[in-house]
Amino acid sequence: MVKNFIISGSGGQGILSIGSILANIFMLSGKFVSYCPCYGAEMRGGAVNCEINMSDCELYSLQNSKVDFVVALNQTSFNKFISKVKKNGTIIVNSSMAKIEKTRDDIKYIFAPLTQEALKLGNIKVANSIALGILSKILGNLPLDAVKNAYKKILKDKTELITKNLEAYMLGLNYIQEGII
Amino acid sequence: MSEKELLKGNIAIAASALNSGCECYFGYPITPQTEIGEYLSYEMQKRNLAYVCAESEIAAINMALGAASTGAKVMTSSSSCAVSLMQEAISYACCDELPIVIVNVMRAGPGQGYIYPSQGDYNQSTKGGGNGDYQVIVLSPSSVQECVDLTSRAFYLAQKYRNPVILLADGMLGQMAEPAIIDCNKYEEIDNSSWRLDGAKNRPAREIHSLEPSQLKLNQHILNLKKKYDLIENSEVDYEEYMTDDADIIITAFGTMGRCAKEVVNHYRMQGVKMGLFRPITLYPFPLIRLRELSYRVKTFIDIEMNLGQMLKDVQLAILSNASVAFVGKPVGDWLKKEEMIEAIDNIIKEQYAGIR
Repeated sequence: MVKNFIISGSGGQGILSIGSILANIFMLSGKFVSYCPCYGAEMRGGAVNCEINMSDCELYSLQNSKVDFVVALNQTSFNKFISKVKKNGTIIVNSSMAKIEKTRDDIKYIFAPLTQEALKLGNIKVANSIALGILSKILGNLPLDAVKNAYKKILKDKTELITKNLEAYMLGLNYIQEGII
Repeated sequence: MSEKELLKGNIAIAASALNSGCECYFGYPITPQTEIGEYLSYEMQKRNLAYVCAESEIAAINMALGAASTGAKVMTSSSSCAVSLMQEAISYACCDELPIVIVNVMRAGPGQGYIYPSQGDYNQSTKGGGNGDYQVIVLSPSSVQECVDLTSRAFYLAQKYRNPVILLADGMLGQMAEPAIIDCNKYEEIDNSSWRLDGAKNRPAREIHSLEPSQLKLNQHILNLKKKYDLIENSEVDYEEYMTDDADIIITAFGTMGRCAKEVVNHYRMQGVKMGLFRPITLYPFPLIRLRELSYRVKTFIDIEMNLGQMLKDVQLAILSNASVAFVGKPVGDWLKKEEMIEAIDNIIKEQYAGIR
């Protein structure tokens, strides 16, 4: 069973970091995984996205016409990738930075004010981890050990940041009540 | 790194180069392969190895030639338009019989193009952009794990045949990440004490140069090189076959496209179409003989590339039977999607069924 994801936003929002963490979580849970980043020449503020494929057997395709899940952390990426969601797929949108607007009725929308929630936690940078928590919930809770280890792999010895991100992840995990989606 | 890590293709190439005993790296940054130099810039310093960020690609490859002539294991890496700058030195390295590893992480061309991925340098790599009768061994990885494995093989083959080897990756593979393992290098060490320039203490002086005013000597040298290339063609061909045993239709594709096309084969197999995939791993030497064997029982070949049909010419050369050869391709940018390939192949199959062709 193959599942694919696009994580998108602007440079500086931790799009590639959270994509890489998600890919590491899959790898650490024994899945086949591929991770393809896409960004322009600019560092901060430019459009950035990455595509992740996860499977129980060997993966061949890298880029897909449509994906099961899209995470959009700002308006531009919401506009750009809404059409890439498969029928019955899900889009998670950062409503702090994008208008709540449903233009398609064949997909599931999850709007969450990720930036505001991150600010409440005291670090605007962890909005991406809240999104990951929400995604994890939809996927039926990713194994917590793998999640912790993936954060450690990417953030290395920045223990405070790991703690803060895990806090944000747990917030995301509990953000939506079971049964809503 | 003896356990699986999520590695970018570029990092896999760089780490594998160190693992294969690379002693000197010369390069100049260019997207989409800059991570190779970035990684080596600190890893080589740590190990007290030679890392030089050169002033240009021309300088980098010529430094590589100089270092290789002393018997050191050397590598340079670059991307398409900048590999073009290296062509003169590659021709020299072949004539001088210098073992250098050149990594080309292909981007869009011709000319400067842009940083999008592409497979447009097949011709340049396999047929050469330099002057004279020469051949470079060309290896084509299709996954991050193969980036690791083929980098090791590139160092080995370069030493074994005293010849430049190009690792022809593409921007897609360089930038993407997949789990991969960097294991111990399985290739044997090649003794180069018979030719390296390491000071003429207690032995007659040696020289390495391509200039040769004597017609007789130059002809003989080139004929000797040809013998070496024949040996390489007889011993180093490598390819992957996927479901070709009973295939009526075979897709030919190399590098990253070679793995993406497997998804297409799976799609048609599910529909009962007998399709398979033939993926050359060595682009030079090209697996011509095996492809020719297959062509006597296969009805149709469909060549898929991220260019406008470069390997296609080699596929056509290989096929002496009545099998037809079709082409699906796109020059640069986002990789052909499964659906796009299937749409194009559906049309090819439909046309052939109707006998239009």
